[in-house]
Amino acid sequence: MKLRPRAARCVALSGLLWFASAGLAHTATAEELSAHGASAAKTTAPTPLSDLDVPYPDGASGDATIVLTMTVEKDGTVSAVTPSPTTEPFASLAVNAALKWRFEPAVREGTAVRVRIRMLVEFHPSPPPPSPEAELPNERSTAVGGPPKPKKPSGPVEIQVRGVKVEPSRTATLSRAEVRQIPGTFGDPFRAIEIMPGVTPIISGLPFFFIRGAPPGDVGYFLDGIRVPLLFHIGVGPSVIHPALIERVDLYPGGYPARFGRFSGGIVSGETVPPESELHGEYNVRLFDAGALLEIPFDEHRGEVLLAGRYSYTAALLSVLNSTSQLDYWDYQARASYQLSPKDTVSLFGFGSYDFLGERTPTQTLTLFGTEFHRAELRYDHDLSRDGTLRVASTGGIELSRLPDDRFVRDRLLGTRSEVNLRVDPDALLRLGSDVQLDAYDVRFNASALSPAAVRAANLFPTRTDLAAGTRADLVLSLGERLQITPGVRIDYYSSQGHGAVGVDPRFSSRLLVTKRLNLLSTFGLAHQPPAFVVPLPGFQPGGLRGGLQLAVQQSAGLEYDLGDATSATATVFHNGFFNMSDPLGSTQMTVQGCAPGTFPDDTLGGDRGGQPTSGRSRNCGTPAQSFNPGEVGPDNSGGGAGGGATRAANALEARTNGYSYGLELFLKRRLTSRVGGFVSYTLSRSVRTLDNRQFVATFDRTHVANAAVAYNLGRNWRAGTRAMFYTGLPKPPDPTNPSSTRLSPFFRLDLRLEKRWQISPRVWISFIAEWMNATLSKEAVSTTCTLQGCQTQTVGPITIPSLGIEGGF
Amino acid sequence: MNRERNWTLAPRSRGLESRAGLLLLLLAGCGAGPRPAAAPACDQACQDGVALRALRTAMKIAYNFEVSTKPVGPQDGTAPCISFDGSRGGSVHVFGDAEVNAVQGASIVSLTYDFKDCLYSAPPDPSADQNYSLTLTGQVIENGTISVQPTATTALIIQTVVDSSTLQPANSLSASGTVYDPALDYVVSGCALSVVQNGNAVSGALCGRSAGFTF
Repeated sequence: MKLRPRAARCVALSGLLWFASAGLAHTATAEELSAHGASAAKTTAPTPLSDLDVPYPDGASGDATIVLTMTVEKDGTVSAVTPSPTTEPFASLAVNAALKWRFEPAVREGTAVRVRIRMLVEFHPSPPPPSPEAELPNERSTAVGGPPKPKKPSGPVEIQVRGVKVEPSRTATLSRAEVRQIPGTFGDPFRAIEIMPGVTPIISGLPFFFIRGAPPGDVGYFLDGIRVPLLFHIGVGPSVIHPALIERVDLYPGGYPARFGRFSGGIVSGETVPPESELHGEYNVRLFDAGALLEIPFDEHRGEVLLAGRYSYTAALLSVLNSTSQLDYWDYQARASYQLSPKDTVSLFGFGSYDFLGERTPTQTLTLFGTEFHRAELRYDHDLSRDGTLRVASTGGIELSRLPDDRFVRDRLLGTRSEVNLRVDPDALLRLGSDVQLDAYDVRFNASALSPAAVRAANLFPTRTDLAAGTRADLVLSLGERLQITPGVRIDYYSSQGHGAVGVDPRFSSRLLVTKRLNLLSTFGLAHQPPAFVVPLPGFQPGGLRGGLQLAVQQSAGLEYDLGDATSATATVFHNGFFNMSDPLGSTQMTVQGCAPGTFPDDTLGGDRGGQPTSGRSRNCGTPAQSFNPGEVGPDNSGGGAGGGATRAANALEARTNGYSYGLELFLKRRLTSRVGGFVSYTLSRSVRTLDNRQFVATFDRTHVANAAVAYNLGRNWRAGTRAMFYTGLPKPPDPTNPSSTRLSPFFRLDLRLEKRWQISPRVWISFIAEWMNATLSKEAVSTTCTLQGCQTQTVGPITIPSLGIEGGF
Repeated sequence: MNRERNWTLAPRSRGLESRAGLLLLLLAGCGAGPRPAAAPACDQACQDGVALRALRTAMKIAYNFEVSTKPVGPQDGTAPCISFDGSRGGSVHVFGDAEVNAVQGASIVSLTYDFKDCLYSAPPDPSADQNYSLTLTGQVIENGTISVQPTATTALIIQTVVDSSTLQPANSLSASGTVYDPALDYVVSGCALSVVQNGNAVSGALCGRSAGFTF
């Protein structure tokens, strides 16, 4: 390797050939399998053909060590590079340089193969040391989907070959390193979901989304294959998983692999960082919370223990405002893994979260809303002798939502699953899996104190025990050099309160390499799901399979183009059909609040609110008002007050609708850790619902959704970013004063981010971060209210979150 | 109502009764710190104000049950008295006449409320003066305008039935139970009521004493 001498600055390169295990393949895509077991004698490592120099960055100082995990393709090009750590500007420089490197490809049994290798890049501001020698590779192997096993101190060389490309149904993936640069996400990978194409927010800042027209309750969230019942803390809070634990987040809006099931609206899958072989940690302190992560290897790197968590001090902080409200949240994550043998690893992973929103009186604290959940999974991963992996896992957990008046819903769950991946042929990867889960629900609603309508809604959540069991299989098949197809199927059985249902979900995806840079992708799949609640909330799972399973028919086709220079572009068209869908939000048509001029009925009586009405409430202006049901005594029903709202809510929860959505998604991304990086995401779509033989545009349909972000390295370890979000307004109910207006006002907001980093030593760093979500203080139009003098748009917000914080790591 | 029970209630939010069951919670920007200060003492005027609120609320609930959404014209119906916790006690007979002013968006009422041992308990509220549990007996008349749209202003005269001999509101109203938080015993009998409501404010005289509250 040549070194390019610079005055007083040099770069040292040492090549460390390290062979990606299936577990580390897990960190990129879980479906990528290592052909584990081939000896070094049969496979030769890639040989560098180009200059491997990386210049020392201008304006930087001190030493830095960046480990690059690179994928070297069969043609010797480097297709993917992941740096660790992401110390800037060294990481970006190393990545950009590595993407230009060329190698003689790895060869196995006379055939060029695609491999992943690891290389160490050391930056020194001093004269270069002697050319480093390539170190012997270390064995590293784990089962698919599991945490990689710690590096062994010595052992035979192994080369692991991956033969499966990125899943076609995965439309977007963001690494934590990239997400940290996106303003408005507060460094939280799960918050970055909203920038992905196909994702439509309910309201800006709220962490619930429609994905390709599917409602929030139909979206599944997973972490390392474990379902997460609630992804974000109360309101607009951070995610329940410490960002430092997340390596990347993938979005599967439709046609997802057979291993994902029981959700018909989309999958958000997070993968945790693999164990590291050195003691390390991170911490962050912000205006409203603090978090930390610590990882400790032991027993000569055979094992590791990781602890992470976050704690809020909003209550103490906001008491300065002398308010009677109380807001608390915290979360924790813990992981321990141990390599029993070169082929066996056992690990224990647990995480949980707590949220509480209440109001204090002189004598007590009243609960407004609270959630809590805990998960623990014990896993065993085994490398099979024939290029395969086996995983067996057991998961237990509890989740709980608290409501006023001592009401709650609680779910205690226990499940087990197994996964097997087998390389049955050099061009065929067979993936099998099965799982069983029991959910015991305890519900207390004190129905005697509820109005009849509220009782109807409460009856959707009875105390009972549910069972879900499933099995799945798919085959990743390479047909020649250019085409890869993945047919699959999963079958799920559901049982609740004596009712049973079976869902059969065929899946198919394909990837065609049109040119070296252009791929053609397609997906198709059916996805069944039991009835769902409005949004994902712990314990809120309707029981009894009332109305049967929901069904989505998902299909898409798209192009994926590598523009070079760490830039990629995708264009996708999609169509989803929804049947028997539970979508209270999207299917509840908006109505104008209040009576417009000339529409107040003069033949029936309105209600008495006691006090002066501040806004006109809809009372079927121009049509006869509905009568009370005898015996329906309860809250003030004037003009459709609380009692009427309960009736509408109950109706919405019970209703099952059909619908469809279609659209175009565009995504252009340049690696955000580059000196100048950014992305543009645009979705053009339409969602339609059909209910009671009426077809209408879905309540949360937004024709245009666009996001754009730019992150710029200002030099001297300053980094700035801005992000713009725009989307069309919601469908507007007929406005008597403006009949031609069919949409509420569109929404626009700007987020800002500024970071200054200090590199204390090669491994120790500290950053000051200023971030502001919705710096434009934009409000969002949500409804129309009329009085006899005219109609006006009602807005919410601004939902704005400024944040100052310090982050650091070692 | 057992005031000694450790209630955990949110007085103005009932999750299942919100639209579509969805709680759209925003960061309230409010936090907890030291224990809140004890509620101030509630003197006679304060207690009368809470009692007046209880009466006016009971009238509102009975109106919404029996009169609201009905065709304009003569009204006559009886509503049971049911508290927030499902407990029942007594009834209210509502009768009289009600019309509509479509231009203003208001109801024009001339109604009599005959309370027959009507027990109504309010759900616990962080505002001390909005807590009560009272049994009401007596006849109350209500004349004036009830605003339905913001274009109108509520303007009501509420008083006990006029004594034909004195042409003054009769001493015919009784109330017993508790008011305020912490609960204070409250008993009045043979009282005259004469108050007006203007917008959100209700004020006048109860049992010969000045009393009032604001919604």
